[in-house]
Amino acid sequence: MRGVEKRLTEFKAAGVRPVAISVDPPEVSRDLCKKAGYTFSVLSDPKAEVIRRYDLLHVGVGPEGHDVARPAEFLVDSSRVVRWVNFTEDVRVRARADEMLAQAKKLR
Amino acid sequence: MPDDAFECSVTTTSILLHGSAGTRDVRATLPPVMPDATESRRNLDVWWGLLLSLAAMLCNVVFFVNPPVQRAIPWLSLLLAVSALIFLARGIKRAFGTPRVYRGKILSSIVGAVSLLLVSLVLITFFHARAMPTSAAAPRVGQRALDFTLTDTSGQPVSLDQLFAPAADDPQAAAPKAVLLIFYRGYW
Repeated sequence: MRGVEKRLTEFKAAGVRPVAISVDPPEVSRDLCKKAGYTFSVLSDPKAEVIRRYDLLHVGVGPEGHDVARPAEFLVDSSRVVRWVNFTEDVRVRARADEMLAQAKKLR
Repeated sequence: MPDDAFECSVTTTSILLHGSAGTRDVRATLPPVMPDATESRRNLDVWWGLLLSLAAMLCNVVFFVNPPVQRAIPWLSLLLAVSALIFLARGIKRAFGTPRVYRGKILSSIVGAVSLLLVSLVLITFFHARAMPTSAAAPRVGQRALDFTLTDTSGQPVSLDQLFAPAADDPQAAAPKAVLLIFYRGYW
């Protein structure tokens, strides 16, 4: 997400709006945005309802055994169709901003 | 070491019998000299094991700098850990199998134990990090993204449709062509 913030102008130029989603309540996300300097939208799904509907729930791996979202990225076009998706296989390996940007630029 | 003693005495006797001129011939006819029991060799394998397990461990630190080849790093750490195990097994076998040549059973054991601990940590991390849900029902390319309404950092509800609207602070801006949904584990 740090990489996305760094290249936010490039994402905007490509007409792509990055939006981050996690189980963190809004005040925690606000704290994160303040500390990390994120200016893109960060949404909260504290009950993991949307995360569950997207089948991204990773049970019991969060702090104190909470359920969290597995890292995953979806590029959704204006007709709400998924154009690119990435499911992280290894928590240590995340989608890189340049990879996502390259996919964003492919859209017409 | 009766064999060594015998060989030694034979050589000495031969030298005595044939004089200095015959020494070379006698030596040449003797069987290849066995490893000298008094000269210990360094057991480098256990140290290689330690070095490789440290390198495997270090791979996990590399992720924090977000390198371009990060996809290969988990496999590199696994490869290093397995190589470390092979070297360790050989080193320990040497230390205990031929203690006359490779001394330092205690040192080998300590280095071996430390390396083994590092290797186990690397292996646990490897399998733990890859224990991911299958997400079989998640939207795939070409499928429609499910609509949702979530709360933003100022407590306002935001729907997927709203994310496609032009930015509220800049009405002249064009509506986004696409939205990049980034699901992440959270901030802790």
